[in-house]
Amino acid sequence: MLQVNNVSHSYGRRSWLSRSGTSPRVLTDISLEIGEGCCLGLLGTSGAGKSTLGKIILGLERPARGQVIFQGHDLYNTDRTTLRKLRRDLQVVFQDCYSAVNPLMTAAQIIGEPLGNYERLSPAEQQHRIGELLEQVGLTAEDGSKHPHQFSGGQLQRVNIARAIALKPRMIVLDESVSSLDMVNQSHILNLLAELQSVHQLSYLFITHDIRAALTLCDRMVVMDQGKIVHEADTGESILESEHPAVRQLAAAVLPEHPSRRIAWDRLDETEQQSADEYSSFGRK
Amino acid sequence: MKWHAAFKGQRMILICSLAVLVFFGVALLAPWIAPHNPVKVDLLQKLKGPSMDHWLGTDHLGRDQLSRLIYGARISLGFAAMIFVSSLLIGIVVGAVAGYVGGWVDSILMRLCEGIMAFPNLVLVLGIVGIFGPGLMQVLLALMMVQWVYYARICRNMVVSLKERNFIAAARISGSSTWSIIRRHIIPNVQRPIVVIGTLEMGWAIMDISALSFLGLGIQPPNAEWGAMIHEGTSYIRSHPELMIYPGLLILIVVMVFNILGEALSDKYGIAKR
Repeated sequence: MLQVNNVSHSYGRRSWLSRSGTSPRVLTDISLEIGEGCCLGLLGTSGAGKSTLGKIILGLERPARGQVIFQGHDLYNTDRTTLRKLRRDLQVVFQDCYSAVNPLMTAAQIIGEPLGNYERLSPAEQQHRIGELLEQVGLTAEDGSKHPHQFSGGQLQRVNIARAIALKPRMIVLDESVSSLDMVNQSHILNLLAELQSVHQLSYLFITHDIRAALTLCDRMVVMDQGKIVHEADTGESILESEHPAVRQLAAAVLPEHPSRRIAWDRLDETEQQSADEYSSFGRK
Repeated sequence: MKWHAAFKGQRMILICSLAVLVFFGVALLAPWIAPHNPVKVDLLQKLKGPSMDHWLGTDHLGRDQLSRLIYGARISLGFAAMIFVSSLLIGIVVGAVAGYVGGWVDSILMRLCEGIMAFPNLVLVLGIVGIFGPGLMQVLLALMMVQWVYYARICRNMVVSLKERNFIAAARISGSSTWSIIRRHIIPNVQRPIVVIGTLEMGWAIMDISALSFLGLGIQPPNAEWGAMIHEGTSYIRSHPELMIYPGLLILIVVMVFNILGEALSDKYGIAKR
């Protein structure tokens, strides 16, 4: 369904007054594949380049090199009409739910935007569809008239999910979609995502730094570190056996249910334990 | 401090908005409100003090002072509003395009703005009026050409920061075109601060028009305009200072009302002033 072939990218500062030559590499030679109805977890610490890769896959940022092939078309080398059709099948849910919605719009307007762009519905039909979508994500049709600031974080993330599934896409990129929520909401949203996946036959690219969240949803995982894929695991559990320092750090950063016992904690040396600690507290703010 | 605090908040916004409405109402209804023809010369009545017939007296050509002030409001407020609206529209569109499209389009438009901002406003306006000749339309055009840059720059910077917000990316992914993103997401989100800043600028526009008319570049006699009236009154500053005081006071009050309104609005919406 989606193939990423040898993508490299760097953020160059380019303007017509200054043209700096060298720029830091963000991604180096990334290749991955996501099949129909699969969920691929993309793990990595912050700065590993996962969000950049997410942007590239979404068609928002042209990679310096490489291809992104979605449903047999190269996203960055196709005509407008095809791209428009492809966009419809490739949606997104962002991490920060508050910045992902226009604060001046109501939930119904937010969800109605993709519908208005692709489907010509009468106002009554549109309202009906929006009501259905809101109910699908566990809200009520009356919530449609609310503005973003009237929702809690978890509810607003549901609105974002409703917008993402409005067009019945084939694939959704979940860019840290649950990371800014508390534990209870995280598990609710993860359950909702799993349910939607089986109902709509969706593929997910689940970008996260939280191994445990990835374990609940994903059937394959890749780990990125400093712009490279350092580890691939075909089954979720096998990732915990990896010896790569980046993977071990991620695994150890997960806070356990019982404070005395952390997954893979013993296998880190002292400095690694320290940075894992910092990392786990960072992700949960 | 207490005095300043009293000029903030909801009540102040209401009072100032009402005052602005009254000013514009008077300007619009001038032909029905004004007791006399503002340009009718009556040399027998010149430089008269206040009377039942002429509430604020007459000027050096025997024209009714009150009627001239009322008609003057049409020019001062009307043209200030026109400058406000037109430069706002140009500024928002240019700023939104520059900020959203970015790259060389942004660079060219912003260098143009900086070029215009590098000159003192009055010098630029004098230059433009010098080229096209004196007259109200020329002044209007000149002020419009220098005012839009401020809106454009503010708008552009806001758009650049808005662009980082994810809802713009989400809108693109939902299939919205560039133009509909600018229209639906960008402009509504920059509107409010821009209008607040615009209210402050409105006071400046009134001052600019009056200043240029005072210099004889704006409205041409015998039409009434506050700045021009002050100019006409200068010859009688010793014997009849009220000829300058009335229009001067009006300019002061109107500009103050706009400034206080702008301040109150920006406090309410928490917008930093430039």
